[in-house]
Amino acid sequence: MRSNKVGWLLLAPTIVVLALFGIVPFIYVLYVGFHQWNPFGANPSMIYNGANNFRRLVFDAEFLTAIWYTLKFALFAVLSEVVIGYFLAQLFMREFPGKGFFRTIHTLPLIVAPIVVGSVWRLMTTPSIGVIPYYLRTWFGFDLNIGRDPNAAFILTVIMDIWHWTPLVTLTLLAALVSLPKEPFEQAEIDGASRSQIFWHITLPMIRPAILATVFIRLMDALRTVDEVWMLTGGGPGAATRYIGLHIWKVVFPKTDYGYGSAISLIVLYLTLVMCWLLYVALVAPRRDARKVA
Amino acid sequence: MEQSPNLDVPVDLDAVDEEAALKAAKPQRRGFLPIVTNWFDRLFIGIYLFVALELFWMRFLEQSIPLTVCHVVAVLLGALIVWKG
Repeated sequence: MRSNKVGWLLLAPTIVVLALFGIVPFIYVLYVGFHQWNPFGANPSMIYNGANNFRRLVFDAEFLTAIWYTLKFALFAVLSEVVIGYFLAQLFMREFPGKGFFRTIHTLPLIVAPIVVGSVWRLMTTPSIGVIPYYLRTWFGFDLNIGRDPNAAFILTVIMDIWHWTPLVTLTLLAALVSLPKEPFEQAEIDGASRSQIFWHITLPMIRPAILATVFIRLMDALRTVDEVWMLTGGGPGAATRYIGLHIWKVVFPKTDYGYGSAISLIVLYLTLVMCWLLYVALVAPRRDARKVA
Repeated sequence: MEQSPNLDVPVDLDAVDEEAALKAAKPQRRGFLPIVTNWFDRLFIGIYLFVALELFWMRFLEQSIPLTVCHVVAVLLGALIVWKG
């Protein structure tokens, strides 16, 4: 009993912080989501309007488009980051000259603030002064203009995200790879397993929890990305890069529609949870049959 | 009086392990979901489906069938998942 009390006492600060900064704001957003509230309008009080905000959003073409572009962005960015991050992690498992230097350089994007990343990439991709359009035009005759070409703008936001966040994936997967025991690999080599067999049947199953944790973190980040994209494209051209975080920002701040913005935020939270849960079920959740055998 | 173990009879370690495992293992819950869940997992799944059904109803069915029907269906579905899932 005494140890239980000490346990709760030690947990108390975390629980209090979690409640104050996690649960209370969530309940408040939930409350606002069922109200019409424009605190800077003629009537600044909250007016209960039931599920009208949610009813509005399922018919809102801008919201649905933003969700579609966000899902596309998250899929391409996270998938590329995991694949490239894995290969880089495997590279860092080997010894080569300048490994320490390369590892440091490779990790640098992580410490740059997203807003700075966005502004640097904007400078690099501005048609008149940017280095990327200049070399693309000089070497390949390709005219890159992200203010005019929606596909180019979309691809550039994905590339920027990959550049910024792949080091995080690399570090996580590197930590997972380093901690793997050597015996299963030696045994597989003695038994004559090929490299692809070792990858699919030993490495991948053993680092699956690390991959899942990384994908969770990156997926949640990608679904709420705002500042980088805001700096690079401002959501344009048209709505080609108006991802959901940016859409919420535009609804809440310029339009000051707090109720509707809260409803959209809740749906984004819901989508994020559903995707993470589906990934969990697909990759690590114990199956009933598997447990019966065990 | 404590009985001393008979050291002449060999102990079947496999049988002992199996017996210990059977004692340790809780009886597995039989539900229709394909994964092992506790009540909170099933409540979570119920809430997911509740929200999805409500949004789908508002988008496609509310013009012909009132949302109250959806509330009833969604709550029943949630209860079914929590109890039988």
